[in-house]
Amino acid sequence: MGMLSKIVNWARIKSPWILHFNTGACNACDIEIIASLTPHYDLERFGVVLKGTPRHADILICSGPVTRQIEDRLVMIYEQMAEPKFVVAVGTCACSGGVFNGCYNVKGGIDTVLPVSAYIPGCPASPKAIIDGVVKLLGSLKEEPKKKNSVAVSQ
Amino acid sequence: MSLEENIKNELEEKFPFLASAIVIKRQRRIFVDIPQENFAEVFSYLIMKMQFSILVAITGLDEGNNMFGVMYHLCRETGQMCIARIHIPRENPLIKTVTSFFPSAEAYEREMVDLLGIHVEGLAPGHRYPLPDNWPVGEFPLRKEWKLEARHDIKENPHV
Amino acid sequence: MYKSGDVRIPLGPQHPALKEPESFMITLRGEKITSINIKIGYNHRGIEKACEERTYIQDLYLIERICGICSHSHSTCFVQAVEEIAGLEVPKRALYIRTLVAELERVHSHLLWLGVAGHEIGFDTLLMYTWRDREIVMDILAQLTGNRVNYGINTIGGVRRDISDDHKKDIMKAMDTLEERTKYYVGVAQEEVTIIKRLSGVGILKYDDAIKLAAVGPTARASGVKRDVRHDDPYAAYGELDFKVITDTRCDVYGRTVVRLLELMESYKIIRQVITNLPEGPVTVKAPRKIPVGEAVSRYEAPRGEDVHYVKSNGTDKPDRVKVRPPTLANIQAVSHMLEDRYLADMPIVVAAIDPCFSCTDRMISIHNLDNRKKMTIPWEDLHVQSIEWHKKRGIDFSGLNRKLRKIKIK
Repeated sequence: MGMLSKIVNWARIKSPWILHFNTGACNACDIEIIASLTPHYDLERFGVVLKGTPRHADILICSGPVTRQIEDRLVMIYEQMAEPKFVVAVGTCACSGGVFNGCYNVKGGIDTVLPVSAYIPGCPASPKAIIDGVVKLLGSLKEEPKKKNSVAVSQ
Repeated sequence: MSLEENIKNELEEKFPFLASAIVIKRQRRIFVDIPQENFAEVFSYLIMKMQFSILVAITGLDEGNNMFGVMYHLCRETGQMCIARIHIPRENPLIKTVTSFFPSAEAYEREMVDLLGIHVEGLAPGHRYPLPDNWPVGEFPLRKEWKLEARHDIKENPHV
Repeated sequence: MYKSGDVRIPLGPQHPALKEPESFMITLRGEKITSINIKIGYNHRGIEKACEERTYIQDLYLIERICGICSHSHSTCFVQAVEEIAGLEVPKRALYIRTLVAELERVHSHLLWLGVAGHEIGFDTLLMYTWRDREIVMDILAQLTGNRVNYGINTIGGVRRDISDDHKKDIMKAMDTLEERTKYYVGVAQEEVTIIKRLSGVGILKYDDAIKLAAVGPTARASGVKRDVRHDDPYAAYGELDFKVITDTRCDVYGRTVVRLLELMESYKIIRQVITNLPEGPVTVKAPRKIPVGEAVSRYEAPRGEDVHYVKSNGTDKPDRVKVRPPTLANIQAVSHMLEDRYLADMPIVVAAIDPCFSCTDRMISIHNLDNRKKMTIPWEDLHVQSIEWHKKRGIDFSGLNRKLRKIKIK
């Protein structure tokens, strides 16, 4: 690894910028994601900053099963992100479809559409689990930045 | 006599054909089955003369026996709910829009169009909803015989 | 609908203002919105169909996941309808516990809303403050039900968990803290100039329009419509409790903020009453697996407004039809009305002010057009002149600078 990429990687791990996208969730995971960013849990102490545009983001946090309506938009947002990019699936629905499996307008988990780097189960995933998942993802980046190995997080 | 019975009596007096069609389910819940041809007059009477001035929802349902049901949940300020229901044949599922009374009815009517395939006469053209834009024409998921398992083309096709 | 000089801006489905997917096609004339087209449906999952294919108990958990913020609202509303069909006499203690969780949910939802509203007007301190305080309620809910969100406390015929004396003590203590904090927020809302200036006169919905567009919940109550299902059509234990229906006549976003803040105070009052008057007895009755033929309509005052469920059973263990009318579906129609002829910058807060929950709504399109006035087309130059005049009226004048620039050019 060259010096420059080392610095970039260091910066990425120290301050990952995230983009949150609801792909058809029931809001429960969304409010837990916000809760994990607010003072009580304070994910920002790991340098995590919530961003409004995919162009700025390193990590795409998705919540909810992928609905047919949102699928194209999800792919579009993923394509707009700069490389290297990572996807975190928050909640049981995002991991596998959850209770919405078998609904006519639901495709399934996030991994039916995008490659997922970390799965955080739970209905909804508690802020503690979300913090654990993000930290584990950042840890995996430290070892091998190019390889997108999946990490599973226990709740 | 309770308020609900008063409502029932008033309706029966005004519209004799409703004699056996009004059921008081419980306090504040009155179900009225209206013949399709008389719907307009009873509906406007309920709204204009009987203070059922709030449209809470419109429910469309597949009742089996080749019939669809459309229920208008009307409400009074004081909490009484009158559920006006019509039955329409599945071969010709046609109702008239009530958006002239309630502009908010548009959403509920569009939902019936999309999910049950009921035609709503007088509904302004617009986007489809709530189904995705690329949903196949002529597929109505809330009809009883519609099953996702039987629809492999929808289930498997990544672009539907 | 679309004229030259108008600018169309698509917004969404992913955008920084709101956390849920929905898209707006806004037509602007200058800075003002002339028409707005709201498209929802990104969250449509097909729950109503799925309910018909699952048993009542499975449906209960599915319905709870219509919306994570008002999960208890939907599950209680559904359970009430099923219990009415089955003719079950739910124990009083269970009804009180349902009411307790319902009010705790209202507290968490209103605090959440206050934070989001603060965020939309660029007052992030308020977001951080309210969300910190919200954790007190979340802890209570987790203690009481076992989960922070999607409580799963309801079951057909009662509730699944009883509450102990320790719970009661903790709740009473938390209520004291929260009441004190809420008083502080009421003070902030009344005195803080930023909030008053930013929210007053924005997103106006007059009384008549609120009635006509069938707005519900705090949105309607802030327009002076005294409508609250807890009061009009009492369910659970609300018939026996003493509380006020909060209304306001300001008709704007500021009014909605005040209504929600004062409703918080009422909620604390209700919770205290529930805890002190909690009757003894069992918390559940045995429910049959197969529900007899019948139908029922159930209403519930969710934090966002009236929630209505219609359930029809056919004698089996699966319902024949479940229809959900979430509160946002009733309110979203008022949004385009509130936004007409308003500035683009007001959009996020006006949309946020109805406390939208699109995962509940998961559908709906509304088109509103202001162009019933005289036709007008503005050429580019006129628009330029207009914008200069507009800024001059507000004390910003660049004409001196322009003259200087022209001189430089001539040289």
